[in-house]
Amino acid sequence: MLGLLLPWCGATLRAAGDADVAAAWELVARHLPTDAQARLGATTGGGREAAFAAAVVLLDRPPVTDAKLTTAAAQLADLARGDDEIAAAAGYLEARLYQAHFFSPDPARAARAYAALAARQPHSPWAQLGLVKLALLRLYVLPEPASPAARVAAAEALLAQVEIPALQRDLHLVLGRGRLFFQLPGVLPHLLAADRIGGLAGTVRSDLQLQIAELSRRAGEPAQARRYFKAFLAENEVDPRVYTVRARLAEMAGKEGTP
Amino acid sequence: MRRHPLRRGLLLLFVAYLGATYWVFTRSAPLVASRPVTLRLAHWQIEKGPPDGLAAVIRRYEELNPRVRVETVAVPSSIYRQWLRTNLTGGTATDLIEFAYWVGGVDDVPVRYFEPLTRAMDAPNPYNRGTSLERVPWRHTFSDSLYTMLSQSPEVGQIYGVTLSQGSSRLFCNRELLRAITGSVEPPRTFIEFRRLCAQAAEYAQRTGRPLHPLAGSRSNARWLMEMLMQGCVTGLNLELDRDGFLDRNAYQVLGDYLQGRWDSRRPELRAAYALLREVSQQMRPGFTQLGRDDAIQEFVRGEALFIFSGTYDATSLRRLAAFPVEVMHVPQLTQDDPVVGPYIRGPFLEGLLGTSLEIYLNKDSRHKEEALDFLRFLTSVEGGTLFTAHSGWLSAIRDVPAAPEIEVQRATANGYYTGIFYMGIGPNTLQSFNQNLHLLVGPQGSVDRFVEALEAGQRQQVSDDLRLDIHNRLTGERGVDAEIAALGGLDRLRGSNPERSDRLLALASNQTIAEIKVYESEWILLRHGVRSDGP
Repeated sequence: MLGLLLPWCGATLRAAGDADVAAAWELVARHLPTDAQARLGATTGGGREAAFAAAVVLLDRPPVTDAKLTTAAAQLADLARGDDEIAAAAGYLEARLYQAHFFSPDPARAARAYAALAARQPHSPWAQLGLVKLALLRLYVLPEPASPAARVAAAEALLAQVEIPALQRDLHLVLGRGRLFFQLPGVLPHLLAADRIGGLAGTVRSDLQLQIAELSRRAGEPAQARRYFKAFLAENEVDPRVYTVRARLAEMAGKEGTP
Repeated sequence: MRRHPLRRGLLLLFVAYLGATYWVFTRSAPLVASRPVTLRLAHWQIEKGPPDGLAAVIRRYEELNPRVRVETVAVPSSIYRQWLRTNLTGGTATDLIEFAYWVGGVDDVPVRYFEPLTRAMDAPNPYNRGTSLERVPWRHTFSDSLYTMLSQSPEVGQIYGVTLSQGSSRLFCNRELLRAITGSVEPPRTFIEFRRLCAQAAEYAQRTGRPLHPLAGSRSNARWLMEMLMQGCVTGLNLELDRDGFLDRNAYQVLGDYLQGRWDSRRPELRAAYALLREVSQQMRPGFTQLGRDDAIQEFVRGEALFIFSGTYDATSLRRLAAFPVEVMHVPQLTQDDPVVGPYIRGPFLEGLLGTSLEIYLNKDSRHKEEALDFLRFLTSVEGGTLFTAHSGWLSAIRDVPAAPEIEVQRATANGYYTGIFYMGIGPNTLQSFNQNLHLLVGPQGSVDRFVEALEAGQRQQVSDDLRLDIHNRLTGERGVDAEIAALGGLDRLRGSNPERSDRLLALASNQTIAEIKVYESEWILLRHGVRSDGP
């Protein structure tokens, strides 16, 4: 009898624990870390998922201090030792702590953590997202390589490893913007690749449309410029740049009409 | 014998339990879900109009939801920022709060204290049932689809509030006075015509001995007009500096460009624009920089100013307070034959942004979030918007809400260039410097040279500090995104993947990456061209 009851109790407790952790994740997703912590405090099970949620709450709940972040980083490092999805997510978040959360970031350590995660679980979405962040570090933050062209090349080398289309798109955006920032040629192919993958919305999408249109205009590709300017106008009735875009189209039409 | 007291005790306990159960379900206060709730909404709209509009919406909402009471807390704009910060930090803020980024120094507030509404915005507003917006996602029932709110959000893609109104900037004219001065009610269409009219007004004042200035003056009204005129003057400069191809300039780009030596206040178009500001300031009464918006309204309604420049949010106040007919006019445009700024004019400027405003946010610590969210839905429904417009005289932010013709003229149209920054302070530090030195431009002994040199004396430090602050604010917003991304991943693991959640996760990650591009570009520039902070 006891042999039947014990597994049943264990399964029930696990289910209750999972429900509590899911509720806590809901609260974290709504930016309510204090409520999430209270929910996790009442959890009777949950295992690695609960431990991961607790670490996330720790880094999100104000006041955020370096001491709390250090504790969270240790917990995440511990969780990252496994080979499941939680390990990948924890590894990614540990790298994020060193990249953006500590008051004195450690970009070199973050870059190593992203690279290690990509080597360990190359197909995990967390590792793939980490590669996009690694590209940012290589482009702008890490001391080596020193020259802009070499920085861009080092970041572009990551493209081959990114398989998820939305993240490929983001990496193309990073690379296009990087080339533009360092005034290197080859901006438009990246921006066009990002647009081909699609899926952007809101101001990010309208910014990309205008960027492609305007840079195409400057590069002497009026047909492409016109196509993107018109796409922008079709989708953006209240953007304050509408008048400027109409003026650009009128200028282009005027120039084309001039013998 | 000794077992009887125990039995009796247990029996007593059981009877008491039954009695308590009966009491709870029949006699006690209502169950939690039906107990009365009082919501409090804080705002600074104490001008004529909006309080009446809000009151009308609240009356109707309370009829529909008798258990909910909504109280408004009107906080004067002069102390709003302090009120906001103190009450949010102390946990004593109202459930619903008016908020705007232009209040200044509050960029961190939404992420910390306001409840994101992004997900709620994807579903239709139930209060729009039976209207043309019945099936439209809440976000798209706003006439700008909350474009302005999204474009300002510290966490890219996140919506933290709703908007109630929209409008534009206009010149409000004392029509009888205009006729007395010029013999006609024809408005000036260009700045050249406006100059001529100002000279006629001065001559009229001298001839009649009547105290009169062409423009009602206050620090705020002057600033708004100057911003619009500056916008007209810097279109060419902004488009020239626009290396990214966005066709507008954001603060981080302009700050970075300054540190890289791509512009400074000595640029000829800026000097010309500042000369124009001096000229405009001379059409207002002396000492206007010490006066508030209410002083300007009083000056106008007393008949001591021919025009007042303001947002259409003052339309109701002016119409109700003035004893004369108030005519709404477009702002005279700068033209290429203008003797002061003509060479730098590319075309007309935009008279006010096309987006919606009067933003109301939901306090993350509210004890009545569900009720507050429900009230926001009603407030921004077709019925709520119609009531608001009819009683406030302000345009509603909601599509398909009818407005009377005298209100309809307030609606903005895409009638000119808008390219972003207008070089009257770019962040808090440069803005403070601009304001502190403005008397060197607009004062009796003022000059463009003195003003520009005073600005440039500390500008490199101030720009560096502003850029540093911009980076800090962006990072604060983006750090919170990591927790949300992790949470969405956790929910996928525990509840199975869900397309909506996956889309949200990817959108968050994408927007965060794009925000970080801006952070790293700014850090790159700051590290190589900036000045170290004076702070701790």
